Amino acid sequence: MKKFDYYQPDNLGQAFKLKEKSGENAKYIAGGTDLIIRIKQKAVQPDALISLRRIDSLKGFEENGNISIGSMTLFRDMERNELLKKACPALVEAVRVLANPQVRNVATPGGNISNAAPSADCAPPLLVMDATVTVAGPGGERDIPIEDFFLGPGKTRMDPTEIVTRIMIPKTPAGTGMAFLKMGRVTQDIALANVAVLLVMEGETCRKCRVAAGAVAPVPLRLHTVETLLEGRNIKKDLTEEAGRRASAEVQPITDVRSTEEYRRQVSGTLVKRAIEAAVKRVS
Amino acid sequence: MKKEIHFRLNGYEVAAEVESHKMLLNVLREQFHLTGTKEGCGQGECGACTVLVDGLNVDSCLYPAFEVEGKSVTTIEGLVGEGNVLHPIQKAFVEGGGIQCGFCTPGMIMSAKALLDETPDPDEAEIKRGISGNLCRCTGYVQIIESIEKAKEFVQAESADETD
Repeated sequence: MKKFDYYQPDNLGQAFKLKEKSGENAKYIAGGTDLIIRIKQKAVQPDALISLRRIDSLKGFEENGNISIGSMTLFRDMERNELLKKACPALVEAVRVLANPQVRNVATPGGNISNAAPSADCAPPLLVMDATVTVAGPGGERDIPIEDFFLGPGKTRMDPTEIVTRIMIPKTPAGTGMAFLKMGRVTQDIALANVAVLLVMEGETCRKCRVAAGAVAPVPLRLHTVETLLEGRNIKKDLTEEAGRRASAEVQPITDVRSTEEYRRQVSGTLVKRAIEAAVKRVS
Repeated sequence: MKKEIHFRLNGYEVAAEVESHKMLLNVLREQFHLTGTKEGCGQGECGACTVLVDGLNVDSCLYPAFEVEGKSVTTIEGLVGEGNVLHPIQKAFVEGGGIQCGFCTPGMIMSAKALLDETPDPDEAEIKRGISGNLCRCTGYVQIIESIEKAKEFVQAESADETD
C-alpha cells in the first residue's frame, strides 16, 4: 500500500491546520472502512491522513426536541441506543443492516455520507426525515440540507477542507410512521437498492409523505412522484401498487457488478410499496 | 512517518515502532509474529483478520496501527489460558466440529467472543448476526453455529465455577 503520514489531532482547530499544512493530497479519515479500501484499490492515493477519531466534540448524540448526532458517533452505539430507536427507527434499521459488526464497531454516519456512495445506507432515512448536515472548515460552520448534500457518486457539496460535524434530525410529529428496506445479494452486501419512507398520518389520510431510494441513481434520490401521489390521500392497496409503479419509473438505475438496471428498477418499486405498508403499520 | 506506539496486547503492555501507513494486521503478524490472525480479503468483508480492540471485534486489515495507542488488543493467541489450556470457546469449536481448514477460525472465534461477552445467551438469529462479518468457505456454517451454542454453555459453566 502507498505510504501515507497519519495525524491524530485532538480538536477541530488542529485538524484544519493539519489539512491546510498538508494540502490537497491529505484526506480526513473517520472509521476508515471506505477510505482505506479505496487507498488499497488505488482509487485515491493521499500523502497524509488526518484522523478524526480523537475529536470528542464530534461524538455522541443529544436530544432537545430535535435529535443531533455527532458525525463520529459509532454505528454500533447508534444501533444500541433506545432514544434513537424510538425517534428515528428508519435510521436505526439502516444502521443495523449496514456492512457487518466489525465495520459497525468503527464506522460512522459522518464517514458514510461523506463517502457519498449512491448506495449509502444512512442516506434514504436521513432524506425522508429532512435532516440537516452541519459541516465545518477553517472558515467556519454552515448547514446543508441533506437533499442538497449529495452531488454525484462520491461527491458532496463540501469543500475539501470541510468535514461533517453533526447531523440534525427534526422532531417528528404525532402520527408519524417510517420504515427502511434494503436489498442486497447477501448479508453485509452493499445495497443494490435501498428505500426509506416516512408518513405522517391523520386517521387514514396521509398528510405528509417522504420517499427516498438509494443505489438506483447517481445520488440517493427523493421520489417526488410517489410523494405527490400519496399526500392527501387515503392509503389503500391500489394506491401502494401505483406508488411502486411510479417509483420504478422515477429511479435511474444502472447495471453494475451487483445487479442489473432492470432488476433494480423492479425491486425498488417493490421495496417502496412494502416500505409504505410498513410505515403505515408503525404510525404512533 | 514512524512513531512508537504503546498498547496492551493479550494482557501485556507492549511498545513497537510502527510506520504510519501500516494497518494493525501487519503490525500483529510482522512485528509481533502473532500469525494466528489471518489476511483474507483485506477489505473488511471476510473477517479472517478479526481481533478485539477494547473488547470490540474489528477488522485489523482496515485498522490503522497508530489508532491502537493506549488501547487493549486481544488476538486468538490471547485466548489460550495458562498452561496452554484452551479457552471455552476454542474448546467448543474443537468439540463441535466447527473447524475444517481452520483459516476462518481465529476470526470466527474472536467474533464469537465479542458476541458472548455482550450477549451471554444469544439465540440462533443473534449468533448469525454476530458472525455475519466472518466468512467460511468450508463448513457451511452449521457446525460453527452449533459450536457457538456449545460455547455459550462452556463459558457459563466456567464463570459458574469461578464464583463457587
